[in-house]
Amino acid sequence: MKDVYILGIESSCDETSMAIVKNGSVVESFVVLTQMDTHAEYGGVVPEIASRMHTENITLVLEETLKKSSIKIEEIDAIAVTYAPGLLGSLLVGVEFAKTLSLVYKKPLIAVHHTIGHIYANALDNKLTFPLLALVVSGGHTDLILMEDDYKFKILGSTLDDAIGESYDKVARVLGLKYPGGPNVEKLATLGTPSYPMPKPVQDGSYRFSFSGLKSAVINLVHNETQRGNEIRKEDLACSFQTTAIEEVTRKVELALKNMDVKELIIAGGVASSGYLREKIKKVADKYQVHLSIPDKKYCTDNAAMIGAAAYPLFKQNKFADFTLNASSQSSIVEYQ
Amino acid sequence: MYTLFIDTHSNKITIVLYKENKVIIKKEVETLQNQSITTMPVLIEVLKKEGIEVEELNEILIVNGPGSFTGVRIGVTIAKTLAYTLQIPIKTLSSLLIKAVSFSHEKVRIVEREKNGVFLGTFDKENNLVDNYSYVSNKEYETDENDVEDIEIDYEKIIEFSKSLEAINPHSVKPLYVKLIEVQK
Repeated sequence: MKDVYILGIESSCDETSMAIVKNGSVVESFVVLTQMDTHAEYGGVVPEIASRMHTENITLVLEETLKKSSIKIEEIDAIAVTYAPGLLGSLLVGVEFAKTLSLVYKKPLIAVHHTIGHIYANALDNKLTFPLLALVVSGGHTDLILMEDDYKFKILGSTLDDAIGESYDKVARVLGLKYPGGPNVEKLATLGTPSYPMPKPVQDGSYRFSFSGLKSAVINLVHNETQRGNEIRKEDLACSFQTTAIEEVTRKVELALKNMDVKELIIAGGVASSGYLREKIKKVADKYQVHLSIPDKKYCTDNAAMIGAAAYPLFKQNKFADFTLNASSQSSIVEYQ
Repeated sequence: MYTLFIDTHSNKITIVLYKENKVIIKKEVETLQNQSITTMPVLIEVLKKEGIEVEELNEILIVNGPGSFTGVRIGVTIAKTLAYTLQIPIKTLSSLLIKAVSFSHEKVRIVEREKNGVFLGTFDKENNLVDNYSYVSNKEYETDENDVEDIEIDYEKIIEFSKSLEAINPHSVKPLYVKLIEVQK
């Protein structure tokens, strides 16, 4: 079969990224322009500024992507873009850009769901083996998903409140750590011990997650100790929080592996770049002798290579979008079932 | 020689196709949702109506604001991507300038209204911007009897005026926001 080259475009949050991906697996060219330093000045992503920067940089990122590639844009088979979920204004820049390329180069347009993109980051330099269990952990998601085949998703459980990455960011803020909070909490946690008592999240035998109680416990603890004039052992508190949060995730993964017969366990999303999470999940996977797949760190955070990978099964099924494609800030992957 | 004019700064999307500097197709569409669903299909419809391919375009004129932030970004993203990929010149005009060039006047203050306030810009006889653009809330806006707000856009005058503008590198084309956002205050 002829090789299929897809140009992936991702602009759902604060990264403008493009990649050319061969057969949904081999990355030919890859560019990520992050706005992290700009948003760090404000202590978090400012949606309007993110959208502005995407508009300013989008053609430059294309130029750079093509410069790095041996494939010319005319040789590309399809244009794939993240259409949801994410920051609406930011998504729209990518969507309109993709439509314009589709018009100019007469290539089909493929609309890719961001979360599905994260899952398919595991198909890069790799092959997904079904059935598989996917753990999606990011600033916006905490989902445990069973996949029987390409684009056959069954959500076993999601978070009832905050996403895990979101709780990391909020804890970072109360500990006075800089944006991005997650990696900074993890760094601090390595210096501490889990000596603060933390409430255990959902214990109902389901696959549902909850992080808001844990987050509130940390905030209240800081508040109360400060009021009493006691000093907080920040590294111990970061460690206590992280230990409980990751335990909550690994416990649900273990429960699923116990109950289901899967060939592979994959982790996806920004929090998948956490070394601590990787270590704990690896132990569970080893215990149940399931193959563990974790994307390279550069494909864990938001990037377009994963969009090119996730677009490939849709390309094979001729599932193309038209020029009325709109972006959406909210969208469930269940819509694909 | 085909020139494509794109204006998405408000709920009314306007796409104009010029041939040899004459308006041959003008399409205006009111959009209730965001400009994303409508703009590209309208643009394609205009090209189809004339029976040309997108690569037959020779020049892009884009209204880069001020106006709806999202609307302007949609138009600017499409316009700069067209200019970059087709390697054709692109020129920007503000939403106030297209009003100013549409009629003969002495020194005039143009008003562009949005939901919570107005954008203001003063132009001289030759349509040079006299002062920087500004934005004031509805409460702060003091009407001047010489203010001009409702003007029918004269697209023939716009293309004539555009000849005096320099083409911009597509990478450098960006929206004109004028209005500050919360974090900038």
